[in-house]
Amino acid sequence: MWTINRYPITWLIPALLPVAFMTVYPIAYALWTSLHQVMILFPGEPFVGLDNYKRVVTSNYFHDSLTNSLVFTLLAAPSVVILGLLIALFLQRRFFGSHVIRSIVLLPWVLPGAISAVLWIWVFHPSFGILNGLLAKLGLIDQSIPWLTSPKLALYAVAVAHIWTQIPFAVVLLMAALAAINSETLEAGAIDCRSPVKRFRYIIYPEIKSMLVVLLVYNALTAFTSYDLVYAMTGGGPGTATTLLSFQIWRESFSMYDFGAGSAVAFIVVAISAVLIIAITRALPSDLFAGEEP
Amino acid sequence: MNQRYNPVATFVFAALILLFTGGPVLLSLVGSLVPDRVLLDPKIGLFDQGINFQNYRYVFTGQLPDAYLTADANRAMISDAARQIPRSLWNSTVIALSSMALNLLLGAPAAFLFARYVFPGKKLSFMFLILSPLVPTVALVTPIYMTLQAAGLVGTQWGIILVHTAKALPFTVLILSVFFRKMPSELFEAAMLDHCSRFQAFYRIALPLALPSIGATGLFAFMLSYSEYMFSMVLSGDAQTRPVSVVMAALARNTDVSWSLLNTGIFIAIIPTLLLVVLIWRFVVEDLLRGSVKG
Repeated sequence: MWTINRYPITWLIPALLPVAFMTVYPIAYALWTSLHQVMILFPGEPFVGLDNYKRVVTSNYFHDSLTNSLVFTLLAAPSVVILGLLIALFLQRRFFGSHVIRSIVLLPWVLPGAISAVLWIWVFHPSFGILNGLLAKLGLIDQSIPWLTSPKLALYAVAVAHIWTQIPFAVVLLMAALAAINSETLEAGAIDCRSPVKRFRYIIYPEIKSMLVVLLVYNALTAFTSYDLVYAMTGGGPGTATTLLSFQIWRESFSMYDFGAGSAVAFIVVAISAVLIIAITRALPSDLFAGEEP
Repeated sequence: MNQRYNPVATFVFAALILLFTGGPVLLSLVGSLVPDRVLLDPKIGLFDQGINFQNYRYVFTGQLPDAYLTADANRAMISDAARQIPRSLWNSTVIALSSMALNLLLGAPAAFLFARYVFPGKKLSFMFLILSPLVPTVALVTPIYMTLQAAGLVGTQWGIILVHTAKALPFTVLILSVFFRKMPSELFEAAMLDHCSRFQAFYRIALPLALPSIGATGLFAFMLSYSEYMFSMVLSGDAQTRPVSVVMAALARNTDVSWSLLNTGIFIAIIPTLLLVVLIWRFVVEDLLRGSVKG
């Protein structure tokens, strides 16, 4: 690490400026909107203070959708990282056809959310879905299970679909991180340590920890703010079983045309996400932040 | 490492991975090759009526599949929207490639600085980059749409490219800086002794060595753009400029479209990216495994 005394603006501004355009300005706009009464039907935009927040938090939907979002995030983010790690470790092996599998693992990644949704509706469909057909053939179930229309199962079903779409990215980055480990370290480890579990714990894990943290944070974020896949699969139903907090933004803004309330929900989502990311980076100190302090 | 693996366990695990990741896509391939009535009727075996490529022919030439020309066929099940797919694939490719190039161009210098230098305001800038993708997309759409409309970019591909670039940049910088930090610092110390400027150290040493990682990161930017839906939908104009995610979502939400035609669209949308992914993945992985980037 070398020190530069002046802020290196020419190196950073190309990256920071577009991101600021995507965040600072819209957030400021949303903050202003969340404090005013902004409805298409009523002209004039009077200042209403925290009324929008009060109305949103006390609404019937809020508690359900917040719980759903948290459960969904806690289900999806660790699953993606663990499954991604298992697959990445496995794909280190060389065997006949390993190249084919490496490519096929990427398949879910190339698909826009709406397409993945259709594929998984097809898997979970109660009458002609492949999952029920398979379970029936194996004799495990007598009647078809309504995966997407049962309030108990729907959230888990959409979580599986979401995990499916997020795994390839985790695998790619973890394989790159695994490949970047010094091969001499690995050879020394193979000699000193016979147990593969211990070898992972003491040799591989410290090397890829920063990548795991990045992935966990990223996946918590995508899960907490995802909407298109889940929305396309269930439309938030049955009832409110799969209504996520991020839908509420959409619902308040574009189906109730109450942009003030929509922005208020957006702000709550941003705040919770911020708590989440800080908690995760604190819980797992990594070399990602080493040397950040001047 | 010459380790012996249990071949049975390897096979079982490989089969499980294939089934989980490839299974739903395989279903859509099968679905695109057989007529609807076979898919929806459990009494007819999947391949009893043979397979055909007529849905694919329809998408590219407009010639209707035979299954829809019979007397009692429901003609509403076939949608003109499917014919927009070839054009939308080209649009998506242009947008995603531009966004990828812009990402690497704008992001690599910043990532290099974050990885190897200490400067005032570093932590603040880095936190800003990490925290910015937190903002839910739904909350951003309205203000950004209004700004781009004022700039006259709505309905053009430039608006979408700009937004996709900005959306992927935090991740590009984050991932690249992890890779740049993994490089041995002796290299840069040697460069310093040889009186390399900061730019020369970046351009002549860091960039060539990190090329595989840069490829992997570019791939990510490409994919993010290719599959992004919300901004593409809001910012794209007529059918001529629409990217594939928008066209596919319209098809998927149209409950009248036949399953076979929908599956055909899905599969056509997969093929070109799959080719690209396989190529870059091979190139990237083989370079990585050859050890050109050493920790």
